[in-house]
Amino acid sequence: MNDLSVRRFYGWFTVLGLLVGVLVVIGYYRDEYRGWKDYQRKFIQEEIRRASTPQQRALAESTPVQIRQILLSDLNRVDRCTTCHLAVEDPTYGGYPQPLAYHPFHEQHPFERFGCTICHRGQGRATTTTDAHGDVPHWDHPMLPLQYIQASCGQCHEAADNPAAPELARGQQVFEDSGCRGCHKLNGAGGVIGPELDKVGARRSPEWLKKHFLAPASVTPGSAMPPQKFSETNLEAIILFMLSQTGESAPGYYASMKVIPSASEGQRLFQQKGCIGCHSIGDKGGKVGPALDDVGLRRPPEWMIQHFRDPQTVSPGTVMPGFGFTETEARALTDFLLHLRDQKVALSLPSLMSPAERGREVFRKYGCAGCHGADAKGGVPNPNAKTAEQVPGLIYVADGYTKDELKMRILKGQREIPALDAKRPPPPLYMSAWAGIIKDSELDDLAAYLFSLKPKGENLGF
Amino acid sequence: MNAPLPKRIWQWFTRTRVGRSIFRIGLPESNLERSQVMVSSFLLHVQPVKVHRHSLRASYSLGLGLILLYLFLILTGTGVLLMFYYVPSTEKAYDIMKDLQYVVSAGLVIRNMHRWAGHLMVLFVLLHMCRVFYTGAYKRPREFNWVIGVGLFLLTLGLSFTGYLLPWDQLAFWAITVGTNIAGYAPVIGPKLKYLLLGGNVVGQEALTRFYALHVIVLPTAALLMVAVHLWRVRKDGGLSRPDEPGDIVQQIELKQLPTNKTYGLMELARGTTPQVGKNPEDEVFAWPHLVFRELLLFLLVTAVVLFLAIFWNAPLEELANPIHPPNPAKAPWYFLGLQELVSYSAFWGGVVVPGLLVTALMLLPYMDRQRKGVGRWFARERVVANTIFSVCLVIAVVLTIIGTSFRGPNWGWVVPWKQPPAITEGH
Amino acid sequence: MNHSTPDNKNEVSRRGFFQLTLGWLAGSFAVAAAAAGTVRFLVPNVLFEPSLRFKAGKPDDYPDGSVTFMEDERIFLVRQGNTFRCLSAICTHLGCTVNRADHGYHCPCHGSVFDEQGAVKSGPAPRGLEWFQVTLSKDNRLLVDKNQRVAADKYLVL
Repeated sequence: MNDLSVRRFYGWFTVLGLLVGVLVVIGYYRDEYRGWKDYQRKFIQEEIRRASTPQQRALAESTPVQIRQILLSDLNRVDRCTTCHLAVEDPTYGGYPQPLAYHPFHEQHPFERFGCTICHRGQGRATTTTDAHGDVPHWDHPMLPLQYIQASCGQCHEAADNPAAPELARGQQVFEDSGCRGCHKLNGAGGVIGPELDKVGARRSPEWLKKHFLAPASVTPGSAMPPQKFSETNLEAIILFMLSQTGESAPGYYASMKVIPSASEGQRLFQQKGCIGCHSIGDKGGKVGPALDDVGLRRPPEWMIQHFRDPQTVSPGTVMPGFGFTETEARALTDFLLHLRDQKVALSLPSLMSPAERGREVFRKYGCAGCHGADAKGGVPNPNAKTAEQVPGLIYVADGYTKDELKMRILKGQREIPALDAKRPPPPLYMSAWAGIIKDSELDDLAAYLFSLKPKGENLGF
Repeated sequence: MNAPLPKRIWQWFTRTRVGRSIFRIGLPESNLERSQVMVSSFLLHVQPVKVHRHSLRASYSLGLGLILLYLFLILTGTGVLLMFYYVPSTEKAYDIMKDLQYVVSAGLVIRNMHRWAGHLMVLFVLLHMCRVFYTGAYKRPREFNWVIGVGLFLLTLGLSFTGYLLPWDQLAFWAITVGTNIAGYAPVIGPKLKYLLLGGNVVGQEALTRFYALHVIVLPTAALLMVAVHLWRVRKDGGLSRPDEPGDIVQQIELKQLPTNKTYGLMELARGTTPQVGKNPEDEVFAWPHLVFRELLLFLLVTAVVLFLAIFWNAPLEELANPIHPPNPAKAPWYFLGLQELVSYSAFWGGVVVPGLLVTALMLLPYMDRQRKGVGRWFARERVVANTIFSVCLVIAVVLTIIGTSFRGPNWGWVVPWKQPPAITEGH
Repeated sequence: MNHSTPDNKNEVSRRGFFQLTLGWLAGSFAVAAAAAGTVRFLVPNVLFEPSLRFKAGKPDDYPDGSVTFMEDERIFLVRQGNTFRCLSAICTHLGCTVNRADHGYHCPCHGSVFDEQGAVKSGPAPRGLEWFQVTLSKDNRLLVDKNQRVAADKYLVL
């Protein structure tokens, strides 16, 4: 029976037993010794070193080594960044190397309520460095490079309103000026040649966006979009603005905190509440109350805010009604009036503008300049288009169309653009159909504006 | 030298009063004890007292059935542990998978063990089926055990498929979308079956709940019961198949005809063949220790392999499931890729007829095979036709699976995997 | 096997002895480690409950002489002059939330009455309400730690 004896397997038994034992040890080792524990121990050492009293020292020594997390159920996330970034709330750690550096600016956005990833992106649930910073496969939201951090403000706040995010405001300005809406819809308004931009910030990386603006065909083969010529600053700004369009909406508590009292909000309120009925700005408006052009020079902000809260308290006997403004509204209106003083805000009140002036705003709103050029002067390339391989300018539309024909043309669009050479690919840019997107009143104003473009005195008589 | 220390300790313990009350027989020292121990223990009494030496040969059975049993045990153990954290909610499941990886002690290793043991189980169930076929071990009297085996094969696929959905990531979501769509192609019952599986029309919370129930209780219980019957039948059919077995001789052995130079305790009374009794006693050896020790070794080997895979390779976890963002192409789990390839030719013939015929053929196989000879030997000459047909089908299945895995790209078009993939325009 | 193969089945060769012992040791170690690992696996490392350490706002948010009830955390934050204390609002009898009374606290479930120091004045409560540690965080907010129980006369002085 010797050939069957189990004794000859003893060697195997040892080997396999040891193998399983070794593997268990390796598994334990890899599980137990994770990077964050080292960071925490370094931090505790540093705290002990800095302790100036025995109580502080005892407190530091008794700090447990454990995963720390911020639970944000409203935002549907859990942020464990503070497992390594242990000193974010301690100003005395300013200037320390990461991960022990202090994080400023959390007065309005306390970490317990906002966490980290809502602004910085990344993978909050992870506890290893690379995974947490999010630049890994199968995670769509890597950390935002710091230069673009203002994009995150745009998720909750209006771009133009936020004094703490000037780059974001600039980005929105560039967006409006360049007429991107002519081809791309954003927030429901815009053309249909290119894709909608409502969630572009969640889908595209900064690198992709940069390439896209400079050479669209390199990232989207066959793209109709012409390469954009931005200055370096404007390019960064518009990338930032695009990154802010993530399609996230701030829930509950966060939405109520959303509005920063701001000049443009104030302007909107000014228009909405009809202040121009009693007060004048420039040569427009009523004479019942004082002119407001220089009110910012005459009255301090606190007076103005109180005036909005309750006019009688600062102007006893005034006929100005109490409007019941909220605190935010009062501050917004005050900000607007202060801006009048600084002339930072172009005063455009639709009810007082001429149709052509309003039409100019419509032209701007829908981004017509993206194809028809700034001030409708043309110059945007459209390869192989019969119209001199460019998108035609609109200065002379008054000669070629009646107003109704023009409106029809805008509503219907033109899908097929006559080509110069049938052998070459068809012209990539075409006119979207704006029916259903542009309102009737806007259409009228737009036609008025376009008709007003013809230089005075010319009559080419088409 | 004396016996090693662990053995001596155990021998001492099993002679104490407490030890004797639990382990009626300590470590067996005599043949009598070796016989008694196999029936004294609940866990051990599945095994016979004596086993034919041929059955011990690793080169014969490759231990595949045992490997499957061990994998099932590992899967059950790790699965139960995972149940302490996992919640089958579309809102929570994915985050919990992340937490298992990042926050739970040993979470990553245990999840990996579960995943790799699952894949290994599907692979080995195929290998075991091939082994049983090629050794003709499904022939009389083992036909029904083969049918139970086919049932277990389908249960294994079902367990793997239902578990596949649970992480609720892109991989899971779309694999199950493809899989249930294939199921929906069956005539008449297809759409109803799909509706029942999904608890609706889409892969959503209902589907997740149902798949979870199937995966943790319904299918494992069914599998456990079938495994029990499967093993019991192995015993009743006279142990593993082997060559020169007195195949279909049904003997009515009256007790008084047994030779008297051996004493026999009545362990069981069974109908059918009783090949050990009165036949070549010197070819049978005691299960303790010969079989039991080999089983222990195999268990260590399987554990080592699963642990090794779990420690060095992570189970996949892609992005959160996103119904509006299908990957291109969306692929079923690997064991269904051959099927998906067939479906790409024809939904009905490829997705329903061919697999349906295959499974039916498998189940009826032992009854269709009239050849009695060739049991207990690999690739027996007498069975060259049967072996060839089976091998051809096997090769076709493997080739289809390989095609589906590596040679199909976006829109299920052909790609050559070793050439540069085309530039990715979508994404980052 | 060409080294000494004993006749007696109970005896093993020296090499076999070594192999068996080592194998069983390694295997037992693996089993023990697996058991320990299983238990450790089941112990949660993070909790998805409201944290026991939390910030209670800035000191100036609380007027002098105030007792502020915080519903989610079930505590009272007490300010007297420049001292801050934190009292548990969980009755020590059967766990109901106590209410603030004119002087002291009163439990609506079984009528336990506690004085300003949290001590039991009457009722079935077995012991006084607990005081939790209040410290000042690095960013100048009140930090309550319900893990740390303190005596009634220990408070944060600013």
